[in-house]
Amino acid sequence: MNAVLDFPYLKPVLITLVIILVFPLVVGYIVLAERKVLADYQVRLGPMRVGPYGFLQPLADAVKLLIKEDIIPTASDRWIFWLAPVLSTVTGLTAFAVLPLSEWIYIADVNIGLLFILALSSVGILGLILGGWASNSHYSLLGALRSAAQMVSYEVAMGFALVSGLMVAGTLSMQGMVAAQQRLQIWFAFSNYGLMMIPFAVYAISAVAETNRAPFDLPEAESELVAGFHTEYSGFRWSLYMLAEYANMFVVSSIAVTLFLGGWLRPFPSVAWLAWLNFVVPAALFFLIGAGCAVGVKRYSDHRVFGGIMIVLTGAMFAAGASFLLPPVNARIIGLFWFLLKVAVILYCYIWYRGTFPRFRYDQLMRIGWRYMIPIAMGALIVNGFVMLWGQGGERVQ
Amino acid sequence: MPAATFLDTSELVLNMGPQHPSTHGVLRVVLKLDGEKVTGCECVIGYLHRGVEKIAENRTYVQFAPYVDRMDYVAAVSNGLGYCLAVEKLQGVEAPPRAQAVRVILTELNRISSHLLWLGTHALDIGAITPVFYCFREREEALKIFEKYCGARLTTHAFRIGGLQYETYDTLEKDCLAFCEMFPKKVDEYEELLTGNRIWIGRTRGVGILNAEDCKEFGVTGPLLRAAGVEWDLRKQQPYSGYEKYQFEIPTGANGDTFDRYVVRIQEMRQSTRIIRQAVESLPTGPIMAKVPKVLKPPVGECYVSIEAPKGELGYFIVSDNSTQPYRVRVRPPSFVNLQALDRMCRGSLVADVVAIIGTIDIVLGEVDR
Amino acid sequence: MWKFLRTVLLVDLIQGLWVTFRYQQPKYIYTEQYPAQRPQVAERYRGAPRLNIHPESGQTLCIACDLCALICPENLIVVTSERNEQTRRKELTTFTYDTSRCMFCGLCEDACPVDALELTQDFELASYTREGAIWDRQMLEEGPLPKQYVR
Repeated sequence: MNAVLDFPYLKPVLITLVIILVFPLVVGYIVLAERKVLADYQVRLGPMRVGPYGFLQPLADAVKLLIKEDIIPTASDRWIFWLAPVLSTVTGLTAFAVLPLSEWIYIADVNIGLLFILALSSVGILGLILGGWASNSHYSLLGALRSAAQMVSYEVAMGFALVSGLMVAGTLSMQGMVAAQQRLQIWFAFSNYGLMMIPFAVYAISAVAETNRAPFDLPEAESELVAGFHTEYSGFRWSLYMLAEYANMFVVSSIAVTLFLGGWLRPFPSVAWLAWLNFVVPAALFFLIGAGCAVGVKRYSDHRVFGGIMIVLTGAMFAAGASFLLPPVNARIIGLFWFLLKVAVILYCYIWYRGTFPRFRYDQLMRIGWRYMIPIAMGALIVNGFVMLWGQGGERVQ
Repeated sequence: MPAATFLDTSELVLNMGPQHPSTHGVLRVVLKLDGEKVTGCECVIGYLHRGVEKIAENRTYVQFAPYVDRMDYVAAVSNGLGYCLAVEKLQGVEAPPRAQAVRVILTELNRISSHLLWLGTHALDIGAITPVFYCFREREEALKIFEKYCGARLTTHAFRIGGLQYETYDTLEKDCLAFCEMFPKKVDEYEELLTGNRIWIGRTRGVGILNAEDCKEFGVTGPLLRAAGVEWDLRKQQPYSGYEKYQFEIPTGANGDTFDRYVVRIQEMRQSTRIIRQAVESLPTGPIMAKVPKVLKPPVGECYVSIEAPKGELGYFIVSDNSTQPYRVRVRPPSFVNLQALDRMCRGSLVADVVAIIGTIDIVLGEVDR
Repeated sequence: MWKFLRTVLLVDLIQGLWVTFRYQQPKYIYTEQYPAQRPQVAERYRGAPRLNIHPESGQTLCIACDLCALICPENLIVVTSERNEQTRRKELTTFTYDTSRCMFCGLCEDACPVDALELTQDFELASYTREGAIWDRQMLEEGPLPKQYVR
């Protein structure tokens, strides 16, 4: 027992296991959240039948995808067909290794953390291209090449925006960035007299384009005539691509949160008398959700299974809210709460953009990336550099 | 000219087949592409041909009226109006003023609901997935009025030859006025969501330009003609069914591109609201049916009557040989004629725009194929 | 100048975002959860046909005049009758109505002089067989009896 507890890699292994086991379920629920939130915008209800308020829908979806027939086109390259979604998923999930979920919840604090994530997302694009290639259909290949070209162009823009943030942070290590924000007592999006909002905006737009989400999703959604790189994939392989896409979204949001929005710090980390935010916000949030679940209990009171699920959920929400009010528990998990809350807000914004905006045409998309995003990001880099040289803000790496 | 080498690219022929989420029905478009640019396109129609004009030769005038709704199934009331006006002209009767006013109210509601469906599906093709639900919610209100009046929402069979079958139901005026109160604010909402949006403007401005000469060459009518700058609306030029009594404007555009057609249709919805309000407030009393014989046998002759349907000029050419069944009914569907201009509009645009252009012509395959 | 600021600060996009954001209130939900909530149809709705019977005597109101069959564009009504020697009137024997070909145009309802044939507000007419869609006199008098799903 002692040998196990003293094992130096115990925490990373445990957290890795938790993430790998839990994240697919989380992705399922992000998909459900997307469907329900889109339904809200569209004055309708979304999934309501499977489980109370549709909450068991991801389980039904998972079962359906797993038992679907696995079709492989006869003329395709079998090994690459198998490899492509695996590549995308593995690179997407590996990026979780350096995400600072909290002060002490992280798998590894690599001192080139951000560079590691960017490298992984570049390799992930290969998964798309191989998927289009292996389908042995020239429409899929063209769709895949378009997606890849779009992702590559916006990675350049993302890179420039991130370099501005790096200048202020002074380190590539993800935990180091949050530590720098804690030391300087400001979220980096607001530093340099608010001039860092420009790289933040460029990063936000490039991130949406990087993950092939609306309004930049012409290669995959309406798909004029082709259905994109994942046409020939069905069942579990397709769900791997979806897992990779949502993992990508989560990682990109996490970078935004870590570098620009203070990571696992609470809002206004410098203002000491606002420390009660650590207690009030999580408790209020969970109690509010609990109250909503209580309404659900009443609605499903005549249904044994759904009513039972709602009762369990209500209890869990109130218990979670109460646990945040206990200082020792709070001190341990409040970092995780703030991080996940901020990532959730950004994911909500993704869904918001999808529900509101029409799609860009492909040439307009590329024009925005190359003619607007990159010059603006470069300009912001230069401006921020000058401001830092002659003012305050940022860490001087000695 | 050098001889062809292996570096020459040939044109790619691509089929946007009958089953496609964006072709608004079973329309097959064969595109000739040069890389990404469209060099020509050809529409193959007929997948929804049901022989309606042939059916007309074997039904009496009264029995044919329900079939007419099924052509432009999105805006069925206009079809009924055109047919009834044509047979009335053959017979030599005119509907009484109250019937005409109620016809105007229902036809304008029908115009609004057709434009709402167009707006929702057009926005959906371009990628905005929420306006379609808002548009259908408003369309629901108009369809409820149809249902309360004649019993059906989509294939209404609302009018009869010589006037109306049903007297207006008690709350018709109240419902219509409530609709006119509610609707302009919703149109403001759609405009807020789409008109100023840079993505929308980027997708629609300069796309699918059809200028006035091209329109006249192809015989294109309706919002496409008005967006090209020609102020031509049959409700003003050749008024029918009492339209001369109401005040409304004809919106026109400047360039004839997709954005102008969008603006023209939105303005038409607002003008329709005006007409409905005027018609409801000045609804005359009186009979609703003219004196029409029980067995309808119009005198020998032919007539062509055209009305301004939501999609363009809808015309009925009826030849009668003094029997109970028409000798020939020929329908001039606006979507059929407008679709012929697709080739001219698509030349030189990108493949991604073809979907937007098909959407902006506002075709209904039931009309194109009959 | 204002135009430049509006372009740079993405004002039109934020306006659109605000419109969709506003709609997130439960009171705007427009969905009807069928089959728990059935839509309320209008009084004049042209739905399932019904042969009315006299409320007191229980006799059918139909006088077998065949006007509905004559007016139907699809010729799907078949009315047979026999002459009753005592009252010297026609009495209805069978009445067949093919709902699978009916387009619910309402001409038969309009034609009936005694309001015997009426198109009611029922719209759930599905049946498992083609023959089930051809209604005889008894089904016409009873009307379709759709399954009510109540928990």
